[in-house]
Amino acid sequence: MKEKWRQLMERDGARTVASSLISIVIGLLVGCIIVIITGLASSSMDGGSVWDGVRLVLGGIVSTGRDAAGRLTFGFNPANVGNMLFRATPLILTGLSVAVAFKTGLFNIGAPGQYLMGTAATLIVALSIPTSSVPSPVVWLLAFLAGILAGALWGAIPGLVKALLNINEVLACIMTNWIAANVVTWIFDGSVWRNLEEYGKTNYIYKTTHNGVETARAGLDALFPGSQVNWGFGIAVGIAVLVYVFMTKTTMGYELVACGSNRHAARYAGINDKRNIVLSMAIAGGLSGAGAALYWLSGNTEFAWLTYQALPATGFNGIPVALLAASNPIGVIFTGCFMSMLNIVGQQLTSLTPYNEYITDVIIATIVYLSAFSLVIKLWLGGRKKRPKAQELAAPAPAAADGGEEKGGEGA
Amino acid sequence: MDSENVIEMLHITKEFPGIIANDDITLQLRRGEIHALLGENGAGKSTLMSVLFGLYQPEKGVIKKNGQEVKINDPNDATALGIGMVHQHFKLIEVFTVLDNIILGAETTKAGFLQKKEARAKVEALSQRYGLKVDLDAKVEDITVGMQQRVEILKMLYRDNEILIFDEPTAVLTPQEIDELMATMKEFAKEGKSILFISHKLNEIMAVSDRVTVLRKGRYIGTVDTRDTDKQALSDMMVGRSVQLEVKKAPAQPGEAVLSLRDFCVPSRAHKRNAVDHVSFDVRAGEIVCIAGIDGNGQTELVYGLTGLEKSSGGTVTLCGEDISHASIRHRGRNLSHIPEDRHKHGLVLDFSLEQNLVLQRYQEKRFQTRGFINRGAVREYARQLIGQYDVRSGQGPVTAARSMSGGNQQKAIIARELDREKPLIVAVQPTRGLDVGAIEYIHGQLVAERDRGRAVLLVSLELDEVMNLSDRILVMYEGEIVGEFDPQQTDVQELGLYMAGAKRAEKGGRPA
Repeated sequence: MKEKWRQLMERDGARTVASSLISIVIGLLVGCIIVIITGLASSSMDGGSVWDGVRLVLGGIVSTGRDAAGRLTFGFNPANVGNMLFRATPLILTGLSVAVAFKTGLFNIGAPGQYLMGTAATLIVALSIPTSSVPSPVVWLLAFLAGILAGALWGAIPGLVKALLNINEVLACIMTNWIAANVVTWIFDGSVWRNLEEYGKTNYIYKTTHNGVETARAGLDALFPGSQVNWGFGIAVGIAVLVYVFMTKTTMGYELVACGSNRHAARYAGINDKRNIVLSMAIAGGLSGAGAALYWLSGNTEFAWLTYQALPATGFNGIPVALLAASNPIGVIFTGCFMSMLNIVGQQLTSLTPYNEYITDVIIATIVYLSAFSLVIKLWLGGRKKRPKAQELAAPAPAAADGGEEKGGEGA
Repeated sequence: MDSENVIEMLHITKEFPGIIANDDITLQLRRGEIHALLGENGAGKSTLMSVLFGLYQPEKGVIKKNGQEVKINDPNDATALGIGMVHQHFKLIEVFTVLDNIILGAETTKAGFLQKKEARAKVEALSQRYGLKVDLDAKVEDITVGMQQRVEILKMLYRDNEILIFDEPTAVLTPQEIDELMATMKEFAKEGKSILFISHKLNEIMAVSDRVTVLRKGRYIGTVDTRDTDKQALSDMMVGRSVQLEVKKAPAQPGEAVLSLRDFCVPSRAHKRNAVDHVSFDVRAGEIVCIAGIDGNGQTELVYGLTGLEKSSGGTVTLCGEDISHASIRHRGRNLSHIPEDRHKHGLVLDFSLEQNLVLQRYQEKRFQTRGFINRGAVREYARQLIGQYDVRSGQGPVTAARSMSGGNQQKAIIARELDREKPLIVAVQPTRGLDVGAIEYIHGQLVAERDRGRAVLLVSLELDEVMNLSDRILVMYEGEIVGEFDPQQTDVQELGLYMAGAKRAEKGGRPA
């Protein structure tokens, strides 16, 4: 057994997966500890609700509510699982967006802006082309492509600025994020796409269903009754597989990764590094735009267009999704689902206990913090026998507790 | 009988995960001797010295000073025992003055204030006594490498060190500076200081040392008196087999010019002048032309400008009859292969596997891709072929991570890749830097073989032995200009050294007739 473990840990991939799993476990444990501390410190909670909180942090996804006696019940909850998959859809794509840029040696912190531009383009196309004259699947496809294109163009801007003027992409991304936030508000302010039909909804854009455009659910609604899931999830998984193939099997992917791993060597080999920087950022932007398109084309939610004060959290959450997956496109599918599961956990906590959903942000923050240590954890797993001292490296984890994520303002 | 041994390192064993760096090594340093420590890269020289200097703790073995067992836990302990070290890469603070650097860590203070006057007097006295000329008030960033080394030596003397370790001290020096250093070392020995001299340059070891200890692959091979041995015997001990020291080659039979530079200029990143200033020369098919010079005289920029990594600011480059002065890197690559100076920066993508690195320029060739998809099978087969042909050793063959390979095999992989592209011009920049004798022998042989196949070879080297050994024609570069052209048969290291140091020069340009 021990021997088998040692052999497994000699493989780099296995160590990467294990280090991500360790980050997740520690993150969940920290979440539990905080649930216990806040519960015990609060006068309105007793030991029972603390125990409920802990159980929900660990198993909120299989919570089925409370029984007649008020006890928590657990089991397969199709609505929870379906909603998890629905919420994972945009996270997988923003995660891919960040991961692709990482592989090319770039930090795409511009996913929120690309996501917003994708949102705007998708909604405008989906709501403007009358489905009375154009079949709705065609409108859907055009809106989807418009979202990708808008995101790609927006992502290409920091890429161009970096390639031509050598300005750090992080700075350019942060600025384009806020420009996008204001541009989107400016586009929709006073526009015909505002929801003027329902009282008090003028801060929102119509759902795409208003024009009869929505992603097909074919069968998934029967599988997960009561949830918002649709085939957008399948498309996201398909895109992740395509990205994986692109990055690992094609000459273009080879060039991108070569540039990312060693820009000097890539230049030496005659690879046009500047073109690749722009290309990588455009692909990253297109993926974020696709995430936005799939989210809003679901027709489940309506978009709050006053975005100038806040950036969408989905964009930023692409960063932990990518980090936790070690930028592996296939891994992103799973970490995206995990992040959306935490979201569901937060909902369960809010509706079933006195706790609020922000506890899940603490868990995410802890995991992000630890994924930055993933290399250290990997080394530790590799040389565990020789250096038992490395154990103390896991210690900084609780410090992340106060690093909770900023909650973005996304219309829901 | 051991009383004359000032330092004894007995049965030292130092292990790192997966490797035994020092395996039962014994080294005895006598008072007043110059003791050379010889070995290939990875033989364990640096590890052994780091143990002595307190940077590593050995698993087994003891260190004795004057017969007393001592424990050296950190460099401060070493300094207290009178052990000083000049590291291969100098440990100086560039923005401090020479004097500040010398006293740093051993300052005399009064009520918290520096007493520089006394320090200055002491340093000046030392400097005069040993002829170590330094400008005490210059900033380290403004002085030459040779002077920086003198500063390092003065640092040891200022601390009254009795045991001086020199880690590959001659790598950065001109021949004249090397001679001065040797004289200084002998002077120290005469005064009863003991010197450990780490090197793999056999000429210097023969010239200056009293005894030599040879290490190989972490093991102790033996200690010999220098006067009882010769270069060949030492190199055989070091490598473990008989080594060809001199490159055997027939006289060159140059053909047409493959590469022509005319008034070629490349701007400098460090200053406003041109790093390469109106340089003109030809390299013909079937000859090895070597650019000799001290590091930092424009050789790097010359190669960057020539290969397209840096934009040139004037003049023309003609390669195989085509003006490529403004061509892209890939376009130039059609007719030249480039063994780069820095194998980690330019030569390899360390995170890639060996096979991915071997097709770094060729992945788009028809043979390695179909409609944009890389043909894995073809890449692997090609990698296997090169690995076999050029004897590149690696843990897992084609899929080995480039990062995990030894420096010598990384360099072999680059050489395999570049030579197999079969281009008319080969630009090789310090192709043997940091490699051991066995690997050097191999690479020199390959370059000569390419020359004999009718390729033009432009070699840039800082090692004068290599320059003298390998080239058919030598161009000396000084401050961005070619200051002389020589036939290796009719010149010697001393003459080259004068030109390299800027003390002599041919008429401006040194242009071939």
